[in-house]
Amino acid sequence: MRKLPTASELLEEFRNGSLDPVDHAERVLGEIERWEAKVNAYITIEAREAVIAQAEEAEERYRRGEARPLEGVLVAVKDNISTSFMPTTAASRMLEGYVPPFNATVVDRLLEAGAIVVGKANMDEFAMGSTSEFSAFGPVRNPWDLERVPGGSSGGSAACLAYGGCDLSLGSDTGGSIRLPAAYTATVGLKPTYGLVSRYGLIPYGNSLEQIGPMARSVRDVALLLEVIGGWDPKDATSLRVKPPRLSALEPAEPGSLRLCVPREMVEGAEEPVAKVFWRLMERLDSEGFEVEEARLPSASKALPAYYTIALAEAASNLARYDGGLYPRGDVEPGDYWRHVAEARARGFGWEVKKRIVLGSYVLSEGYRDEYYVAATKVRRLVRDEVLRLARRCVIASPAAPILPPRLGERITDPLLLYAMDVYTVVANLAGVPALAMPAGFHHGLPVGVQFMAGKLEEDRLVRLGLFVEELTGLRGVAAGEG
Amino acid sequence: MKARIGLEIHVQLSEAGTKLFCDCDSEYRRYPPNRNVCPVCLGLPGALPVPGRRPLALALAAAKAFNCRIPEWIVFTRKHYFYPDLPKNYQITQFEKVGGAPVCLGGYVEFLNTDTWEWVRVGIRRINLEEDPGRTYYEGDIMTSRYAHVDFNRSGVPLLEIVTEPEVRSPREARLLVEYILLTLEYIGATNPRLEGVFRVDANVSVEGGERVEIKNIGSTLDVEKALRYEIKRQAMVLERGGRVERETRHWDAERGVTKPLRYKEEEAEYLYFPDPDLPPVKVTGDLLAEAEKLASRSPRMIYEAVESLGVRREVAWSIVSSPPAAERFLEAVKLGGDPQVLARMIGVDYKGELRERGLDPNDPSRWPPAETLAQLSKLVSSGEYTYDSIRGLVLPKLAENPGADVKSVLPEKVSDVDALVEEVLRREVKAVKDYLSGKEKALNYLVGAVMRAARGRALDPREARRKLLERLKAMKEG
Repeated sequence: MRKLPTASELLEEFRNGSLDPVDHAERVLGEIERWEAKVNAYITIEAREAVIAQAEEAEERYRRGEARPLEGVLVAVKDNISTSFMPTTAASRMLEGYVPPFNATVVDRLLEAGAIVVGKANMDEFAMGSTSEFSAFGPVRNPWDLERVPGGSSGGSAACLAYGGCDLSLGSDTGGSIRLPAAYTATVGLKPTYGLVSRYGLIPYGNSLEQIGPMARSVRDVALLLEVIGGWDPKDATSLRVKPPRLSALEPAEPGSLRLCVPREMVEGAEEPVAKVFWRLMERLDSEGFEVEEARLPSASKALPAYYTIALAEAASNLARYDGGLYPRGDVEPGDYWRHVAEARARGFGWEVKKRIVLGSYVLSEGYRDEYYVAATKVRRLVRDEVLRLARRCVIASPAAPILPPRLGERITDPLLLYAMDVYTVVANLAGVPALAMPAGFHHGLPVGVQFMAGKLEEDRLVRLGLFVEELTGLRGVAAGEG
Repeated sequence: MKARIGLEIHVQLSEAGTKLFCDCDSEYRRYPPNRNVCPVCLGLPGALPVPGRRPLALALAAAKAFNCRIPEWIVFTRKHYFYPDLPKNYQITQFEKVGGAPVCLGGYVEFLNTDTWEWVRVGIRRINLEEDPGRTYYEGDIMTSRYAHVDFNRSGVPLLEIVTEPEVRSPREARLLVEYILLTLEYIGATNPRLEGVFRVDANVSVEGGERVEIKNIGSTLDVEKALRYEIKRQAMVLERGGRVERETRHWDAERGVTKPLRYKEEEAEYLYFPDPDLPPVKVTGDLLAEAEKLASRSPRMIYEAVESLGVRREVAWSIVSSPPAAERFLEAVKLGGDPQVLARMIGVDYKGELRERGLDPNDPSRWPPAETLAQLSKLVSSGEYTYDSIRGLVLPKLAENPGADVKSVLPEKVSDVDALVEEVLRREVKAVKDYLSGKEKALNYLVGAVMRAARGRALDPREARRKLLERLKAMKEG
């Protein structure tokens, strides 16, 4: 275990001249060189010269006093977020070599803020997975234990933070895809309120559930990044008409200023080491003056099937466009249209993606739609109402994942176990509320994460609480490897 | 043979300015292939649809014009099917089930049957607002073409799908109904019905004792009538011979004038409908509704009744109404003091005829002179300064060539020396004069014609020529 500078600390050093953005970039590129062969956090890494050239420009801007909010900070962007200057594959063979003709809104905002995109982070194909093993470009490994997964689907975004291969990263979270990896890698990740961050340019999986969100090695960094990427975007009809949130200057929550609720349904399934680390943190918070109470969220038990039904229905629809036409595959001979489509999809998609397309089509089919899709939307309303009611009273706390990071291949064989990893996280996506995952502690050297959930657009409460927890645990800036 | 006909009319909102969910052009015909496209209408991963204000307002205006129940929230639904020119392999459309809500939940249209001059009411079942797919081109025949060329310029163009109840009584009425619906949309400013491929019609038809047959792909209003006539006759013959009319879908072959069964057996389609999660329901605000109402405020019926109430014959009145720029100029010119009768003839019959003769579009506003010009001409006729015929014969053709021309520059020179012309004709036409003087009164008409010809394009009132001729002939007789 070691400590690495957070982005906020780096920016401070850049500003006061004690650190040169070019030297820093060299150092990060060095970490990538050391770790990448083992971890596989990136699908595409920006050319060294391009990174250095941008760092030099950042240095120049600091010298002229024209530095922007993220000037010279190295950011990893999950590979399902469109970049016009780097391939965007969503970790699928289907999009191998695809370079979008446009940037995602969040990428434009990153670049305008002076950030340097250092690479495109590895992930589960089309964000479908909880372990980052389902990538067409090979699985991502957890820097804390290379035999274990980093969580998914934003596993690359988390892993590069955990080994120092980036300063900040962007993930996307459809049912926990930011928070699981954060929990498994002792990093911080925030799934924003639905609509706070533009989805324009995010290759869709479950449109009504997902958000792009910030990942970092500290709570303040996550707040800083969310300030840059958040706020209304006219190109996304589901984005909320709100200004970018102001979060980076917040102070830690005062003890007694908020209450914590732990819904029984969101902790009782956790394996023992996870529950132990979680409750120890709750006890400490309680003794610090944050009242912790047990609560009920009865609909939570139905959340997982409802979540998968909706996500897979949307996924089957979104993935219909990949037919070998606009995204051609060199290995499919032209000819009969139907044969061509079938072959392109057979070769282009991985097994997990195919499974989800079939299931998604099934739940939308005539005769089954009411029983599955429509029923799931009803459960979703139930979950949302319960969560919003509870969130008015308190910040909802739970473990971020019910288990410790599994070994590679350990879960992949049992789909039900695999999907059950998302049991605590999907609630926030169904309800559209923000949720923060951050390190709670370690168990035999393996990270355990805690999740805090608040009401819509209450990211500020999460950040303030997170800052306090970070003080308490002392885990800010923690990273894998020898110091 | 009694038939029940229902129509499904697809009309592009070609005049919306933008596509339904992006800022590309709604009039795609002027672009080279795949130049009127963007990430949104190409359905690129991550690009998101945002409903355009104008297409929405125009669709709601159509719903208003057809007396529809409009929902509080409009919902867009995904309809999935694989097709090479459908870039997302789903179409964003509207659906009344699974939580959907189209722009119109039912209404009616009253169209003028110009054979019987009765207003006929037909129910509208619903109207959907949806995106048009792209187009596939083949080299020659679809079966032999080596390639399928896909052009996405049309992809995402706003399209209305208007579905009527099966209440249309005859092929002729079906055609008149389609024409009336298109005219209504033209008055709203939603579409230009004369653009190539801007509308397509599918028709359902059943005769007594038979099942319902759907005819697809009818591309003109004339073909609506022809296809239905053919199909009704075909069904009647099948029944006469003791056969059965099965439920099926047929294709209209306009070239040969026959309906043909589709080559493939239609399967029960599975469209996997569900509300598009990228498009939150659109609230039909008072603001949006007011805009729609304003657009729908000029209906063909209202204008027709206004024109007819001025004493204009219904055939002429309908001719005026069926060209919106004509109607606009007619009403304006009347307001400017022009005589309704003169104007109706000039606008509804003769100027329109001039345009037609030249192969020009009478519904294109740029082909019409301003109302001031027309009012002025009407006044010149009313005051007796020019005859209607000289305006029709000498002025309207010039205006048709150059609608912006100044009145003075197109008015013909008037004959100032009628007497001299008369003398000249009398001198030349010795035989006709002799005939007349010997009692053949018909010869006078010939002489009047000769004087008019001698005017060579200058304006001359034939009555004046006749009067002068008679005076001189009388004098000759007496002398």
